[in-house]
Amino acid sequence: MRREPAGDVGRAKEMDETLAEFFRRTILKIPMTEMMTVLKTWNFLSENQLQTVNFRQRKESIVQDLVLLCEENRASLNDAALLDIIYTQFHRHQKIWDVFQMSKGPGDDIDLFDMEQFKSSFKKILQRALKNVTVSFRDAEENSVWIRIAWGTQYKKPNQYKPAYVVYYSQTPYAFTSSSQLKSNLPLLGQALTVASKHHQIVKMDLRSRYLDSLKAIVFKQYNQSFETHNSTTSLQERSLGLDINMDSRIIHENKVEKERVQKVTQEIFGDYPQPRLEFAQYKLETKFKSDLNGGILAEREEPLRCLVKFSSPHLLEALKSLAPADGEVISSFLEGPSVITRSSKVGKGIEESRRTCEY
Amino acid sequence: MELANTLKQDGESRGGVLAQLERLETQVSKFHKKLEEPQDAQALEARIHELERLRDNLRAEVKQRQAGVKASTANVEPDQTLEISEQEILERKQENVKAILQAYRFTGISGKLTSRGVCVCISTAFEGNLLDSYFVDLVMEKPLWIHHHSVPVFIPLEEISAKYLQTNTQRFLFVLCEYLNAYSGRKYQADRLQNDFAAFLVGPLQRNSLCNLLSFTYKVKLKGQSFPFCARLLYKDLTTTLPTDVTVTSQGMEALPSTWEEQRADHENLFFTKPLHQVFTSFARKGEKLDISLLS
Repeated sequence: MRREPAGDVGRAKEMDETLAEFFRRTILKIPMTEMMTVLKTWNFLSENQLQTVNFRQRKESIVQDLVLLCEENRASLNDAALLDIIYTQFHRHQKIWDVFQMSKGPGDDIDLFDMEQFKSSFKKILQRALKNVTVSFRDAEENSVWIRIAWGTQYKKPNQYKPAYVVYYSQTPYAFTSSSQLKSNLPLLGQALTVASKHHQIVKMDLRSRYLDSLKAIVFKQYNQSFETHNSTTSLQERSLGLDINMDSRIIHENKVEKERVQKVTQEIFGDYPQPRLEFAQYKLETKFKSDLNGGILAEREEPLRCLVKFSSPHLLEALKSLAPADGEVISSFLEGPSVITRSSKVGKGIEESRRTCEY
Repeated sequence: MELANTLKQDGESRGGVLAQLERLETQVSKFHKKLEEPQDAQALEARIHELERLRDNLRAEVKQRQAGVKASTANVEPDQTLEISEQEILERKQENVKAILQAYRFTGISGKLTSRGVCVCISTAFEGNLLDSYFVDLVMEKPLWIHHHSVPVFIPLEEISAKYLQTNTQRFLFVLCEYLNAYSGRKYQADRLQNDFAAFLVGPLQRNSLCNLLSFTYKVKLKGQSFPFCARLLYKDLTTTLPTDVTVTSQGMEALPSTWEEQRADHENLFFTKPLHQVFTSFARKGEKLDISLLS
């Protein structure tokens, strides 16, 4: 909602000092290259108002002018919070996102999700528990909502500079939250989400990344979207021709068959599309040691060995894809989600019958 | 060269690489033995004649074969044209079959065999409009499992597969088809309302991922007056494209004049029975009719 400026420059400031400071610091964060885009997305200051600002000044002066305009428009805390949400949406990679999974009880009714009801319910739950809390919403694409929460206590006003963010896609069991430094409020946040979205339980998944879109691709299982149809023009054989051209002439038939097999498995697992961006993954591995040599202490051990395998990389899945690993099942289990008991498969030499629970 | 001949004549190499090496070895030793024999002039002469005879025989054989090939090519030409047209026919048949396989999409459920099972394609449609397609890649093993899919996360795929996938795969596909078609149909209606009938809407259309709850305010003109109504449509049955619950209320005013009350009840009924965009099309037509009557 845009309000026309009062027009009288000499009017006394009505805006709270702390609020003005919040505006100043929020606008100051925005890089100059994005300033116009962000302000237009915010849609709080009119075109005319923006034109009155000299954008060739020093940044501090520009910000000062913009804050004055906000005051003219009688901007509220909610308007500032909205601007903060927009800034975060533009810079979502600056935060680290966790994933929570919610579940319903058996025999629950069809989910008739009402966005307005959800928002009001969520806000009420937080406000009832904490007297001081700022909750703001911004609708986003694909029937999702970005929620910004500034936490306070019974006695302290909310800290606007350390907000938590939640991104929730309606009628899904997943919520993405930016790791808030105030960890004590996490149970309350979980409760608010669960009740407002009509679920029963909430569990934190062992999945964390800077890349919100990749997390979404993984939990919504949107990462492997190439399917074989009669309508597809390129076949597996045609695509692997690229490999043939580069092949060494010394590679004879047997090796070629093996190379093609590896290529095919990689293709099946990873497909042609860009991979979701994981930076690290870790596995708990429970395995028994099998050795060819008779005896050996490890082979006779009754209890399985419990190991933790960690992988890390700036872009883990692309790195694995480029290895064209022989064991495609290991890689596919990365993407199948946590707490999946995978089929038994060979990992490395000398290990058989491993049963793994995957964690990220 | 002798080695090549043994390969061609037999049709298979006898014994593999090592056996070939053995044969070469024996040949070499034979050759060496022959060299060691006394260089008898007569023997050499006899040898020369032998080789000359062999050469003449081979030459004759070559001539024979060449003649034979020429004769056969002369006869082959008409056959070749026959072959070409046969090939053409086969190619056309193949293209035909490919086209039919591609056209199976329009039946709603189609599939393609993969190396591990089958990739099923569910093509949704509503009112004769082809909408989005969704894929389910099934691996034919015991137990049957889904490798990957493009079904949206808010469609209860896990529930449906838990119920039917192992016991009755056909049922699984039909039920999934129902859900996806209904979702596509509801989405289509909501999109049409938002895009084509924005002029009737006051404020945004409130919807959710499954498009099973729609809430909006709209204005309809009657006798020059326009009146806002709030509509709330619930689709509790996820396999249908028509709402199960409809509430149309007046915005603000408690008691409605009787004409508007009639309208309100009428609209409620319309939303129950007709797809959303069709209801608004009829609103638009009514408006046009009224305009025409005003002119006359």
